[in-house]
Amino acid sequence: MAKKRSISPIFKRAAAHIFTKPATTKYPFVKPHLPDDARGEPMYEIKACNIIDIGSGNSVGLSIDVRSIVGSSCRVCARDCPTGAIQIVEVEGKGRPQINLNKCIFCHQCVETCPRHAIKASDLYELATTDKSCLIMKPNVQSETKETPK
Amino acid sequence: MSNNKIDILNVVESKLGSKVQIQPGHLSTGSIIANNGLHREVLKAMIEADEKTGIIAISGLDLGENLGVYYHFRTSNALVTIKTEVPKTNPIIQTIIDLHPGAAFHELEVTDLLGVIFEGNKPEGHFVLSEYWPQGVYPLRKDVKANEIKLSPPQETNKPAEDPRQVKIIIGPQHPALLEPEKFSVTVDGETVTKVEPRIGYVHRGIEKASESRTYLQDVYLVERICGICNSIHAAAFVEAVEKIIKVDIPPRAKYLRIVALELNRLHSHLLTLGHAGLEIGYETLFQYFWRDREPIMDLIELTSGNRVYSSLMAVGGVRRDIRAEDIPKIKSVLKTLRGQLPFYRQIYTDEPTLRLRMKDVGVLSRKDALALSVVGPVARGSGVDIDVRKDEPYEAYAEIPFKEIVYKDGDTWSRMNVRMDEVEESINIIEYVVDHLPSGPIRLNLPRSVPAGEAVNRVEAPRGELFYYVKANGTDKPDRVKVRTPTFANLPSFLKTAIGESIADVPANFVSLDPCFSCTDR
Amino acid sequence: MIDYLLLIFRILVFPGFTFILLLTLFCDWIERKIEARIQNRVGPMVAGPAGILQPLADFIKLLTKEDIEPREAKKLVFRYAPLAAFAIMMFAFCFIPIDGGSVLSFGSTVGGFNGDLIIILAFATIANFLLFLAGWASCNPYGTIGSARVLTQFLGYDIPLFLLALTPAFIAGSLQIANIASAQATTFLPFIFLAPWAFVMFVITMQAELEKDPFDVPHSESELVGGLETEYTGAKLAFLHLTRDVQIVFGSALVVELFLGGPYGPVFFGPSWIWYSLWFVLKVIGVVLISEYITTVVARFRIDQVLSGNWRILLPASLISLILTVALVTWVYPLLV
Repeated sequence: MAKKRSISPIFKRAAAHIFTKPATTKYPFVKPHLPDDARGEPMYEIKACNIIDIGSGNSVGLSIDVRSIVGSSCRVCARDCPTGAIQIVEVEGKGRPQINLNKCIFCHQCVETCPRHAIKASDLYELATTDKSCLIMKPNVQSETKETPK
Repeated sequence: MSNNKIDILNVVESKLGSKVQIQPGHLSTGSIIANNGLHREVLKAMIEADEKTGIIAISGLDLGENLGVYYHFRTSNALVTIKTEVPKTNPIIQTIIDLHPGAAFHELEVTDLLGVIFEGNKPEGHFVLSEYWPQGVYPLRKDVKANEIKLSPPQETNKPAEDPRQVKIIIGPQHPALLEPEKFSVTVDGETVTKVEPRIGYVHRGIEKASESRTYLQDVYLVERICGICNSIHAAAFVEAVEKIIKVDIPPRAKYLRIVALELNRLHSHLLTLGHAGLEIGYETLFQYFWRDREPIMDLIELTSGNRVYSSLMAVGGVRRDIRAEDIPKIKSVLKTLRGQLPFYRQIYTDEPTLRLRMKDVGVLSRKDALALSVVGPVARGSGVDIDVRKDEPYEAYAEIPFKEIVYKDGDTWSRMNVRMDEVEESINIIEYVVDHLPSGPIRLNLPRSVPAGEAVNRVEAPRGELFYYVKANGTDKPDRVKVRTPTFANLPSFLKTAIGESIADVPANFVSLDPCFSCTDR
Repeated sequence: MIDYLLLIFRILVFPGFTFILLLTLFCDWIERKIEARIQNRVGPMVAGPAGILQPLADFIKLLTKEDIEPREAKKLVFRYAPLAAFAIMMFAFCFIPIDGGSVLSFGSTVGGFNGDLIIILAFATIANFLLFLAGWASCNPYGTIGSARVLTQFLGYDIPLFLLALTPAFIAGSLQIANIASAQATTFLPFIFLAPWAFVMFVITMQAELEKDPFDVPHSESELVGGLETEYTGAKLAFLHLTRDVQIVFGSALVVELFLGGPYGPVFFGPSWIWYSLWFVLKVIGVVLISEYITTVVARFRIDQVLSGNWRILLPASLISLILTVALVTWVYPLLV
């Protein structure tokens, strides 16, 4: 071998590491610092949504045909959601999106497509719960803004 | 330097003349329509003219009355497609594995999913589909609906080894050495491996079929989830293919931003593999060190895209998010720290005696075999074959960025790992160049949701090798056919070759140097 | 009467069964913490202060799990081999002087009897053999291959181990462990300084006997799933793990007794047996640290490299070391003293 072989550097490095601070973040005692626009839970703002008539659109699944949305300028969040996590339900005679966090992949396509910016991005990620029904975000109440610990 | 592109089509034309129909410029370099077994003649002419001819993929499509079988080949500087068609009533075509052994897996897959029978390459049982799948039902045909399949009981049995002295050890499907499930039946004579029989398809989710019932907008997210490690690359390959069909050129800032996402993906994937290799040979400390250095890269991916793993940055027409100017110093400082760690790892690879004992001269793949089996990525570059899509057919803005192509000659596990380590440094160079030279301008074009009829092929360099997409559009907002050929699918036959003759104790180290990603393989 | 009660106390509590058990759990915690710190992570941190109760928590957790027996396994061996191995290892500790004298003494003032070095090395071999039988009796292909590898490895490395263990015996002039340890105390010169090559080789051979990296082959998950432990669950697995941990402490204790002066060290005030126990514990922890450092820093050899390293390198080297040490002790050192 042309190159000179010496003692592997790992012996010194390993011994030195015994005395250095570990690189682990001790979650949940210490929370990590997230960037501002991390993709967390999509939050829905009821006042801004534009749907004015619910119609009989089939918003379950992915076979939404563009032509069946009659007269309304919206329902695009449900149409564009890749997993079909958004269903349109009737609230006070108007159609509102109901986001099922079980199916949501947090891609924020709905945030992007909504023409009225009714769905906003947030960076909440501690969404685990023991009750599956908590994960279906019903649109009849405004989502409370929760503070992420920084 | 002679312009090889025109040479190949000229060569074929001069040899076969009017028997085939040549369309230069269609589907990258050109496509050749050759029915009635003439595809073998075309292939023979191409192999004689250029030794680097290798198969990329075989796309099967349902064209109504006929089944289309498209052979995509790469030569030194060209991508040529040979199109043939067979009637659905008699879907028999001649095999090409005697001319080019690397085509074996591709033919078996087309048989399984579309029902085309290749004379001379008959599978035993299913190849990609599960044993419960009913016979005679071919999922990629248009008349088969996914929710109407009735499963039938399996007929496959585990056969013992033919020679009674040899023992068949089954590695997988669930095994600590494998990250994802696949079954390998390894026949050993004492401690030496004599045969390896793979059974893939445990993670087959039918993504190609699923993409036909979703719009292009939703398909970007679907295709991203073929693989968790190289997710941006899949998305980029898909949107580029769609942009080629629409024939639109995206703004330069979008191209540069895409490169940042792609190279960050390559960085974290290579660091993952280098750590995982350490784990397989019992070197947990190296594994922990590599993954500790990988964490800041995941934080960078989160900074640029909002999520640590699935960056979802790509969209048809550009990228979805921009990099803020105040983030660029953070990106550069993380990359500088990573670059400072690399000499330590390089020295371990050269000096650590136990690592050299486990990795040197293990799993040797000769250059001849690498070319015959048409392997891609670091596996090929570790055996002396210099193929890299970023240099051979530059996409996005790679033509403007200076970087080196890494090639090692020995062909063993150690060389392949070294290729990946050097590529880490090159990726750092590329990202630093890109963030220094970001052009200004828009990041996304507003394109209509429907795509005009047409077809396109696209190749992208994933961390594991060359990733290939073939997209066919029919004028609606849903694609007609999306064909994905992932790099591990092309590299897997090389493992069947390199494991033979070695001790079974070398199988884990050999296997992990391929960098297998079975989610990609099975789709 | 008091003597018998004292004897029972010494066997069961201190320095016998309970003390060794607590020392084992403590050394397990130290191993895991050191390995974690070398790898730049935290290690056990939740169970007890700084995670010190983690090995105990793991043991209790395994005891509460369901105990599954394969139908084909040989019942008697499958059930009782781990327990028997554990019992034999614990019994071997009775001959190692911990607080200045061994627990069991047969007519000797310092404890033990003439030739007990060979006996406890034989006990260690029998315990390993019982572990091999445990894997063999589980009738599982991974268990069979794993236990075959265990057998090949420890039988091969037993020979250099015996030869190297005889080196301090030659220097001290006795085959009784307690005599070897006290010989180092009277001359204030631990044998590590007289025969350092033997110490280094003994530590390496001990690594191979204890199946730690780089000789980790029987436990390599990437090849063998679980090795000989594949079919074991619940309480039996708890005892298998405990046996392995006790073996590690036993190996370290042997190194301490043979080369590092045993429990003897400076006594500052009060009864001497407290100080002797303290020195013993500190020296054992030191050896565990060295052994764990070697484990963490290197990769794993292949089985054929392990075997060729033994028969081609270690065995001739240990023979040469024995001859060299005997020559030095007989002719050279008396000239220097």
